[in-house]
Amino acid sequence: MITIESARVRFASTEGGAPMVALADVSLTIARGEFLCILGPSGCGKTTLLKAMMGLVPLDSGQIRIGSHAVTGPGADRAMVFQNYALLPWADVTANIAFGLELRGASREECARQAAHWIKAVGLGGFEHHLPRQLSGGMQQRVGLARALAVEPEILLMDEPFGAVDAQTRRLLQEDLLDLMQRSGKTVVFVTHSMEEAVLLGDRVALMSPRPGRVREVIEVGLTRPRTASVEREPRFTELKEYLWERLRAMRDEAADA
Amino acid sequence: MPDGAGRARVAGLLRLGGWAGGELVAAVPLLAGLAVWELAGWMLGFRFLPPFSRVLATAVGMIAGGELMAPLGASLLSLAAGYLPAAGLGVTLGLLMGRSRGLEFVLSPYLNAFMATPRIALVPILYIVLGLNRAVQAVVVFLGAFFVIVWSTMRGVRSADRDHVEMARAFGATKRQVMWKILLPSALPLTLAGLRLGIGQAIRAMIAAEMFIAVFGLGALLRTYGGRFDAERLLAVLLVVVAVALVCALAAARLDRHLTAWSRTPR
Amino acid sequence: MAWEGAALTSGSLLLPTVEATAWRLIELAGTGELWHALWVSNHAALLGFALAGAIGVPLGLAMGRWPSADWFFDPYLNVMLATPMPAAIPVVIMVAGLGLPARVLVVVLFALATIVFHARAGFRLVGWELLEMSSAFGASEWQLWRKVVLRGAAPGIWLGVRLGAIRAVSAMVTIELLLVAVGMGRLILDAQGSLDAAGLFASVMVIVAESVLLAHLFQRFEQDASQAAMGMAAE
Ligand SMILES: Nc1ncnc2c1ncn2[C@@H]1O[C@H](COP(=O)(O)OP(=O)(O)O)[C@@H](O)[C@H]1O
Ligand SMILES: [Mg+2]
Repeated sequence: MITIESARVRFASTEGGAPMVALADVSLTIARGEFLCILGPSGCGKTTLLKAMMGLVPLDSGQIRIGSHAVTGPGADRAMVFQNYALLPWADVTANIAFGLELRGASREECARQAAHWIKAVGLGGFEHHLPRQLSGGMQQRVGLARALAVEPEILLMDEPFGAVDAQTRRLLQEDLLDLMQRSGKTVVFVTHSMEEAVLLGDRVALMSPRPGRVREVIEVGLTRPRTASVEREPRFTELKEYLWERLRAMRDEAADA
Repeated sequence: MPDGAGRARVAGLLRLGGWAGGELVAAVPLLAGLAVWELAGWMLGFRFLPPFSRVLATAVGMIAGGELMAPLGASLLSLAAGYLPAAGLGVTLGLLMGRSRGLEFVLSPYLNAFMATPRIALVPILYIVLGLNRAVQAVVVFLGAFFVIVWSTMRGVRSADRDHVEMARAFGATKRQVMWKILLPSALPLTLAGLRLGIGQAIRAMIAAEMFIAVFGLGALLRTYGGRFDAERLLAVLLVVVAVALVCALAAARLDRHLTAWSRTPR
Repeated sequence: MAWEGAALTSGSLLLPTVEATAWRLIELAGTGELWHALWVSNHAALLGFALAGAIGVPLGLAMGRWPSADWFFDPYLNVMLATPMPAAIPVVIMVAGLGLPARVLVVVLFALATIVFHARAGFRLVGWELLEMSSAFGASEWQLWRKVVLRGAAPGIWLGVRLGAIRAVSAMVTIELLLVAVGMGRLILDAQGSLDAAGLFASVMVIVAESVLLAHLFQRFEQDASQAAMGMAAE
């Protein structure tokens, strides 16, 4: 279980003005095995919240706990998938996927074996020795996903992982992710700015608003699992999507009035 | 300022001209130039412009006759004795400066001053301080190559993508691991660019200093024949000097291409 | 500071103190000797540098714009970039004698390749997309150059000009030290000949100062140009 209690993060502003409040008093609990989507307009602190959970961004106050341990830095129980993939340009697919294992001192054979396994699992067979620049965006993100899964984390943190790929690829990636995650029992926190994606993937959706960044509302999705893309035809899906859109629009109007 | 575009700009600007593929087609303009030289040499009959073929024959003769061997050997020796330490120490210092803002702040004014200063101006000082001996040649070569290597390596470390560093930290990398697995590979393209610029500068400094002293090396030979207005031999030695410089440049370029294929943008 | 320390501790005749060097510098400046030397040296450097820029910038841009120009000149550019130009000085002297024309020619030889190379690199950074976009909007060749190329390539051009200026100073000192003892080179050689260490250091310091100053000046232009080219106001 992940417990976030009154998390606050401020960034010193570049022009020396008042500091920028990226997270103002965020509290959230995420159950073990849950798939939580975080939805919000850009700049509302989604990435900051995820990085705080990863232990990359320190909190100014409040606390984040995993089970009973407070997060003070990155740990083997968590892994992250980055929006811009963050693949090492000099390393081939195999080496990129094995990167996390390599850092933990796994042997060469172990790295090769695990990489081979995950290359198959994410559907990259035949591209073992390609460099990132030789892959499409969707394939690059498959590498990013495999790299995170290869270290066998209990918690997977994903920051708009499909934000930079085209619509069809995005759809395929979403379906493959559903396939991979639904039986795994892993806890997933998935940041997105797409309402469809949030409803399609999540057990719950946390809605965030900007300036200062806070969680405004947490919505139960309540669609049955295991899910496939066919849930998009269910009335509940459309209903939720429209609700989320209304809430986002209301937030925007609030901001415009203020 | 250290944004993506700026970084790409520096990397792009530092890379010397492309010598890739199609070398035969690329040679056509040069051959045309040589043909013009040859013709002009025969037709104009200027004393300072002997035909290319004669210069080439002279060069071959001087090499075969052993006349060139001692000066060439002396030059190459001082080149190696100066460049190799410059490369080793330069990369090391560049890496340190890339890691430490404090060190960069203290040392970069000196670095910039030395890079802007004509190294030849230091040669009289070196000779007056160190005396007239061959070790000075190595020092001159060292000074020619060192600073640009340091600067370029430092820029290389600074060019590392912050996202890569953060990613590595997320996967639990220690400081050491970040250095070895992220910063060093990221710095490689600019480090190699620095080594390439360095070898060019080293040769330039070497020749200039040899000409200044006029005692040993190819530079001394250039001066001797220049003084005698012996155009054939002068141009023959120049030809050898250019050949040495080109071989060094090509070797460095090849190494660079081999090691940093990954950093080339996709077609 | 390190220099002063070394000089004081070694107490050497050959390594003058900062103080002695400064005094000698003032002396040289006072007699006008220094100014005359600087003028003689820079006269040639300035002419050569201007000539190199006038040839190099258009040539580099043309090589960027037209593949056939690039095909023809690229091998020469590569040879010139690799060639240690001091080696060409005796040839220049054989052709052009010892006067001002020879010194100007040497400066051109030193500075040209760098300027061409960076002008071309600057042009390439403009990117074909922008050029295609401009043609799509019906820009004439002239408009293309004025509105897109010169602005986009400006950072590269200024970088080349800065490095070219450094090379020009280097050329000027090199030829004066090696073959035609005039100007600053003369001052250095005289000081060396008479074992006037302070004078030697002072003259070299003047050259260092000039190089650094020039480099700084052009770096400003370069930064402004690159900020403008990337759409940031140069405040
Ligand atoms: N390292 C940082 N330094 C300063 N400000 C930052 C930094 N990271 C994020 N911010 C600011 O914090 C706010 C939230 O950013 P972020 O978490 O990236 O939002 P999101 O991911 O929802 O788009 C933004 O206004 C952003 O400009
Ligand atoms: Mg974000």
